[in-house]
Amino acid sequence: MTLTGALLSHYRRHPLQLAALALMILLATMLWSGVHQLTGQARDSLARAEQSLSGGREAVRSDGQPVTVDDFVRLRRAGVCVMPWLEVPDPDGPGRLVGIDPLAGQCLVSDSHSGRAPALDGDPFVDIHRAATVSAATPVDSPLHLIVGESPGPLPPGYESAPFQRGPDTGELGRSFLLNLDALGALVLMITALLLRAVYRLGQAQRETSFVLLARYGVPDRVIRRRLVLEILLLSALCIGPGVWAGSALARLLGNGFGASLEGLFDLPLYAGGTDWLTPALVMTAVVVLACVSDLLVPARCRAWLDRGGRSLWPGVILAAVGGAAVLVVSGLAATFAAVAVVFAGVGLLVPTVLSHLADRLAARGVDELRRWRWRELGVMARRLALPVVALQFTLALVLAVQALVASFEQTFEGWLDQRLAADWYLDVPAGADAGPAADWLAGQLAGVDGAAWHRIRRGSATVASIGADDGTRASHRLDLLAVAPIGPLLTRWHLLASADRPWDALARGDGVMINEQAARRFGWVIGDRLRLGEAAPGAATDGLPVLGVYADYGRPEGEVLVAGSRWPAGQTPSFEGFAIEPGTADIDRLIDGVTRRWGGEAPEVQENRAIRASANAVFQRTFVLTRAMTLLTLVLAGTALLVMGLVFITSRAWYFRLLRAWGLSGREVFSQLLRLCLGLTLGVALLALPLGIWLTWVLVGRINPEAFGWSLPMAVYPGFWLELLVLSALIGLGIAGLMRRSLAREATS
Amino acid sequence: MRPVLRITERVVASARAGLTVRHRLMVALWSLVLALLAGCSGDDGASGPGLAPTLSGGDAGGFLQPGPDTGLRFPADFGPHPRYRVEWWYLTANLTTAEGEPLGVQWTQFRQGFRPRSPDQAPPPADQWPLEAAWMAHGAVSYQGQHRFEERLARGDVGSAGAVAEPFEVWLDDWQLQQVAPRRWHLTVRSRQAEPGFGYDLTLTLNRPPVPQGDHGFSAKSASGQGSMYFSLVDIRIEGTVTLDGKRLQVAGQGWFDREWSSQFLKQGQQGWDWFAQHLDDGDKLMAFRLRDAAEPFVSGTWIPAGGDPQPLTDAELTLTPLERRDGYPVRWRLQVPSEGVDIEVTAPPGRYVNDGRFPYWESPVRVSGNRAGVGYMELTGYGATDD
Repeated sequence: MTLTGALLSHYRRHPLQLAALALMILLATMLWSGVHQLTGQARDSLARAEQSLSGGREAVRSDGQPVTVDDFVRLRRAGVCVMPWLEVPDPDGPGRLVGIDPLAGQCLVSDSHSGRAPALDGDPFVDIHRAATVSAATPVDSPLHLIVGESPGPLPPGYESAPFQRGPDTGELGRSFLLNLDALGALVLMITALLLRAVYRLGQAQRETSFVLLARYGVPDRVIRRRLVLEILLLSALCIGPGVWAGSALARLLGNGFGASLEGLFDLPLYAGGTDWLTPALVMTAVVVLACVSDLLVPARCRAWLDRGGRSLWPGVILAAVGGAAVLVVSGLAATFAAVAVVFAGVGLLVPTVLSHLADRLAARGVDELRRWRWRELGVMARRLALPVVALQFTLALVLAVQALVASFEQTFEGWLDQRLAADWYLDVPAGADAGPAADWLAGQLAGVDGAAWHRIRRGSATVASIGADDGTRASHRLDLLAVAPIGPLLTRWHLLASADRPWDALARGDGVMINEQAARRFGWVIGDRLRLGEAAPGAATDGLPVLGVYADYGRPEGEVLVAGSRWPAGQTPSFEGFAIEPGTADIDRLIDGVTRRWGGEAPEVQENRAIRASANAVFQRTFVLTRAMTLLTLVLAGTALLVMGLVFITSRAWYFRLLRAWGLSGREVFSQLLRLCLGLTLGVALLALPLGIWLTWVLVGRINPEAFGWSLPMAVYPGFWLELLVLSALIGLGIAGLMRRSLAREATS
Repeated sequence: MRPVLRITERVVASARAGLTVRHRLMVALWSLVLALLAGCSGDDGASGPGLAPTLSGGDAGGFLQPGPDTGLRFPADFGPHPRYRVEWWYLTANLTTAEGEPLGVQWTQFRQGFRPRSPDQAPPPADQWPLEAAWMAHGAVSYQGQHRFEERLARGDVGSAGAVAEPFEVWLDDWQLQQVAPRRWHLTVRSRQAEPGFGYDLTLTLNRPPVPQGDHGFSAKSASGQGSMYFSLVDIRIEGTVTLDGKRLQVAGQGWFDREWSSQFLKQGQQGWDWFAQHLDDGDKLMAFRLRDAAEPFVSGTWIPAGGDPQPLTDAELTLTPLERRDGYPVRWRLQVPSEGVDIEVTAPPGRYVNDGRFPYWESPVRVSGNRAGVGYMELTGYGATDD
């Protein structure tokens, strides 16, 4: 038999081990490279949206109508250098394509003295004809932009230039969101490394005797080591390729939802990007090699020292304490994540040691021999299965925390939707129609009707500036403006995050404004701060309006100011106008009919509460689809690994179980011992994961979420879900025991 | 003859499939434009940086090829020819200022078709931003040894660039040549930057009907039959203003207008051309060109007497000899038409008159001396750094 054959014979005898290793590498590569690709693409989009277009301007029509190809021609024929910009969804994958006309854009290049023309390089830029073809084939309307460069000069009458911005200034939030995902990805990678190492090392332990045998036959140690490194490299090469491919498939699958949530949450368009194969392939190879064969690269003396260190409780305690303290004091997402990583490392060192100490102590105290034996065995398991045990604990903690985050998010969102969508019917006023007479008519119709409520909604934007204590005006910001009249029960049901005394009455009188949480956080405005809406008229009083309340406003990045209808700026045309109607005992069809007649017969868009709610929920679901998919897959990974590990481990302890038979226990009694042992281990891990999970929930909700999303959440725990996880752990334990029983039975017969 | 936009079938295909640009901006936009207009980078290097056209021989990609039987039709031939691949409208003017100083003006607009279309076929809708043709315009002013030049690009069928036969109009952005009255045209060109910049507003009075070049308008460009449809307006009175760095100059003089279209001009191996259009003092006109080849150059021209019919000139009847070089360009020439007793020297004024666009080429006014006097224009293409 050749040396290669001798070395590989191990996997012939244990094909499951090889399959487990391959599957884990494949799954982990898929998971991580998928996430890496999406976040990379998003980060790229962010950078492009921020840098390539910073300072850029576009030509818009003064009448507010969207620009068309006719406007392009009109501007070009007037001598203005404009380039068309048409964003469309990429038909071949997630993200967007940007169609440009390089012929028209050529003047932007030559006009740019500083050389800072928009960086229109490579993906996602395509010829605008292709974008227009895609646009024609998609039902979604793709608006055309006309880029005029940094200093376009005067435009012909009927046009003005406006900053070309791909959304509000939410770059930081978007970046944090991506960092969140990346951190999750890193955690998945870490867990995978632990699991891989565990399975691999167990295999190595089994192969120890064959290595000794080979050494006796005169094969030098270093040759064996080299072969082992080669073996793992080969395995990586075979699994990582398909893994990266599956990763891009995963990215494509999740990409649209991911893109939609990025856009919904941060107004950050996800542009189509190329696939980066190399980074995931290299990183995964490095992880696999480090996890599996790093021992071979570390001198034996250091290894011994590390092994001794593993027995002590102190390194773990110190790491966990330092990390925990750091989470409390550091600011910034990256630092928080680093602190969390330190805590995880500490806990990872601590848990197997604590488990085995605990088991040994219990064993020492027990009187029943079988029980003492069981505790001892559990202690051995905790030590020998330290890596997969820690990995399972981390995974469970992660799953628990993410679930708590998503669930509390969901709950908060639900509650918020309930407040926001208090009315049963929503009518959009057609463009150009006068909503005033309809409002008056509606007020007359619904006055005194049982259970009826309504209000008129106007949306637009306004320049808002805060006024300092010195009466000086601070920097102004362009915010969304929401005007509601009358202020009634549909509105006063809103839960306010902070409020002044009797805020709704003051708002109704026009004695103040309310702002959404995004605006409050971004500009640091608090209750009582005075805000001025609109440009300051010369000589006008500048005392502004006090902030009366801060309301939650999920699912979008823009800051918003809420005012009473009477505070709507005179002469400003709303960008949206509508009615919210809770008809009570009145007939909604009659009301719609009456309203329609008031503005000349053009039928309004009527939306039912349920439809709006469904679409809002769809947006919400998309936000967490990636997070959920990741945690779920990680759990599957960890569960599978523990199953395989437990099986391999207990096979190595089969001798002890057969000893139990020799002591006179029946097969059923031996299995019962086995079952208790396995359940004890997995349930113990799950119980230990609980505090870590709860702590991680707090970190996510209390520390990371406000930084990543711009709004905070109430922290909630979900014991029902803990129970589910415990049941899952028990099932894993049962699985190990079941597999063990078969393997013991097989060995007994052979 | 005008610079031909280089294009290959491959590029047309990639342009049609939707182009993706791959390099950093400057490069990116430019490379896309180049891809659209110039053909693949591979033959860029092979043919040098000059204008030498490499309209590859053989397949014209569904475009029509002109021949001696094609014939000219007016006024339709003032308009575009979408069944042919390349065409241009070209005007040069030898003007003088109120102070009597010579001033040269050039304006050219090119159309490069990517897909042939019959004239009765409706163009694709503009909101699809079709890519069936690209337009390029060149504007230049030569004055007191200074040469100013600007290049414009546009996509066809969108509306920002185009041409119509009647009433005659050719435009790209805010540059336009249009008929304002019978036999009267107006040309407006304004560079994007005011300083250093240029512009001109010229009124053109057409004094002579179109003159067909070559064989009833078919101008051969090689012995093997490649060629183009070509006619000229050789007697144009021009008046108007030229603006240089914000300063307005009253100008007047004479102009030469060319219309030329084809799908395949040159045979492979031709490196560039030397082209001359001369107004001689007694009203006679001379058009002459030479296509340079590794072997024997192809020489052709037309003698246009003031009162008679144009006479095509073959290489036996016309000699072109470069006499002096400046910056690699032959700036002084001897032109001989023995049958007409013409033996003249054509000289560019001091200065560097290179249109530094995508394809640099020499375009300068010239002074005629020898046994006849006069003025004219000279275009020299395909003289790159590596050229002969």
